[in-house]
Amino acid sequence: MTWLRNVLVDLADDSPQVDLAERTIAAHDRRRRAVISYLAAAMVVVVALGVTTAIRLLPDGHQEAASIGDLPARGVGPLSHAYRTFCKPNSGKAPSGCRDGGWRVVTRSGKTYHVPEALPSLAPGRTGLRASPLAISRDGRKIAYYSAREDTFQVRDLASGQKTTAATKVPQSQLGSVSRLMLSDDGRFVAFSKVPDLKDPAVLIDMRDGVARELPNRWVPIGLSQDGATITLAEYSPRSRLRTISNLWPSSSKGDTTSVILPVDYFFSPLAPDGKTVAVIENRGTAEKPCRYGDLALMDTLTGEKRKPTAVSGLPSDVSRISLRTWLSADEVTALTTSERCRSASEAVNDEPAVNDPPYQTMTAYAVNVRTGKARKLATYRAQGFFDIVLPGPPGAL
Amino acid sequence: MDRNDSFREFVAGHQQALMRTAYLLTGDAHQAEDLLQSVLLKVLGRWSRLSRVERPEAYARKALVNQHISWRRRRVRSELPTAEPPDRSYSSEDSTVARLVMRRALMRLPPRQRAVIVLRYYEDRTERETAELMNCSIGTVKSQAHYALARLRELAPELAPKLADVEAEEAYR
Repeated sequence: MTWLRNVLVDLADDSPQVDLAERTIAAHDRRRRAVISYLAAAMVVVVALGVTTAIRLLPDGHQEAASIGDLPARGVGPLSHAYRTFCKPNSGKAPSGCRDGGWRVVTRSGKTYHVPEALPSLAPGRTGLRASPLAISRDGRKIAYYSAREDTFQVRDLASGQKTTAATKVPQSQLGSVSRLMLSDDGRFVAFSKVPDLKDPAVLIDMRDGVARELPNRWVPIGLSQDGATITLAEYSPRSRLRTISNLWPSSSKGDTTSVILPVDYFFSPLAPDGKTVAVIENRGTAEKPCRYGDLALMDTLTGEKRKPTAVSGLPSDVSRISLRTWLSADEVTALTTSERCRSASEAVNDEPAVNDPPYQTMTAYAVNVRTGKARKLATYRAQGFFDIVLPGPPGAL
Repeated sequence: MDRNDSFREFVAGHQQALMRTAYLLTGDAHQAEDLLQSVLLKVLGRWSRLSRVERPEAYARKALVNQHISWRRRRVRSELPTAEPPDRSYSSEDSTVARLVMRRALMRLPPRQRAVIVLRYYEDRTERETAELMNCSIGTVKSQAHYALARLRELAPELAPKLADVEAEEAYR
C-alpha cells in the first residue's frame, strides 16, 4: 500500500503549480456579465412580444462567455506570455476563435486577446509563411510586433495604449522564415533578426530617437545593455557562437565586436542580469538520437569559458525538449519544456504527416536554479512549438 | 474581507492539494488545470453558501471527482500519452521508472476505476468516504478497486508483483 501511495505521490509531484484564483474570478465575472446581457436581451424580447404578437423577435444570442476579443486600446495588465496560432493542426483541435498565423497575448490574470495589428504569419488563403515575430518586455507591460499597417515594427505600452512606430520601414519580404525580436526593458530598443539571412541585414532600432543600425543577420539577439550601446548575440546553427558588439551608436560606427566560436553545440538562455553571462545546455542530440542534453552551465559571453556545470534535477523524466528563457532572478532561469516523443530523422521522414500544422502540445515552464540545478514548476502553456510561444524578456536561442 | 477575498483565501489553502488529485485523475497538466478551474468556477458560483459551511473543500473535491468522471465519459477518445520512457532520463532510479509506467497504465483505466485508485491509494480514503465522494455504493468501490488493480497488473506487468501485494494488503484493511 505504501509502495503504491509513494508512486502516486511521486506522480502527483509533477502536477502544475499555478494560481487559479484570479483566473477563476475573471472567468466568473465574464460569465456573469454574459448572463446579464443575455437576460437583458431576453427581457427586450419579452417586452417586444407583449407590445406586438404579430412580429416574432428573438435575441441574437449572446457573446460566448469564453470568446477572445481583440487587444483593447488601453488598460491591459502585464502579460504572462504570447502564442501564435495556426488553425489546422494535424491532430487535436485548434483553440477556439483561431486566427491563422495570428498572435494572442495572455495576461497574468488569465485574460487572452488577439493582436490584430500584428501581421499574421500566414498569408491569406494559407498561400505563404512569413515569420511575423512578437516580443514582450521583461516586465510584461510592453509588446513589440510587426505592424501590418505600418510595414515596420511597433512598440505598444499595454496600460496606456501608447504606440511608437519605428522610423525605418522593414519590408514584409525581409521577415524570413524564422525571425527573432527582442524588446529592451524600457521599450526603447527593438532588435530584429531572421533566417535565411539573404542580403538584407538584421536591425537594431532606437524607437525614441528614430534611428536604426544594422546588425549581422542569422544571429539571435539575446541581451542588450540598459543604454542600448552593447548587444549580445548568439548563433546556434550551424555552429554555436556568441558575439558581443559594443559602442553601437552612432549608427555609422562599426562597433567593437568580440566573437567566440564554441567547440560544441549549445542552447543559450537570454543574457543573465549580470550582463556578461548566459546559461547554456549542451545539445548532445544527433539526427538519429535526438533530444539528448548535457548539464546546465554558466558561460562567459566574452570568453566562452564555461563554469559551474550542474545536473538539472526536478524535471519529469519524460521531458524531451528544453528551451531556456527569461531570467527570474540572478540565480533562476526559466526552462520551457515539452514531453513530445522525439523522433529520429529517419522516423520523421517515414511518418511525417502530409498536411498542415503541428498539433498543440503542453509546454511546462520551470524555474531552474543555475547554482544547484534544482527545478521548480511555474506554469503550463499550450502552443505548437518553441518558436510559437513568447515569454517576457529576450528570446533564448535554440 | 469581501467575497472574492475569502474565495482567494480558500483557493490559496486548497488548490495545490486539489490540483495534485486533478493531475492524477487526468494525467495531463493542461487538462488538470481545466478540470480544477471548472470546479473552482462552480465553487465560486456557490461561494455565498459554501463559505458558511465547515469544509467547502469537501464540496470541491466531490465536484472534482464527478466532473472528471462525466468529462471522460463524454470524450470519445481519451488522451493517451505517446511518450515512451526516454532513452536517457534525468534520474535512472526505480521510482522514476515506476512513475512513468504507472502514469501510462493509469491513463488507460476507465474514469471510475482511476478515481477509485486515486481516492483509495493516494488520498488514503476509506471505502465509505470513497463511495460518498463518487456517489456510489461501498460494494461498487470494492469491485472497482479490484478490477482497477487487476487491470493495472495487465497494463504494467513489470509492476504486477507489487500490485498483487497491494491487493493482498487490501484484504486485511
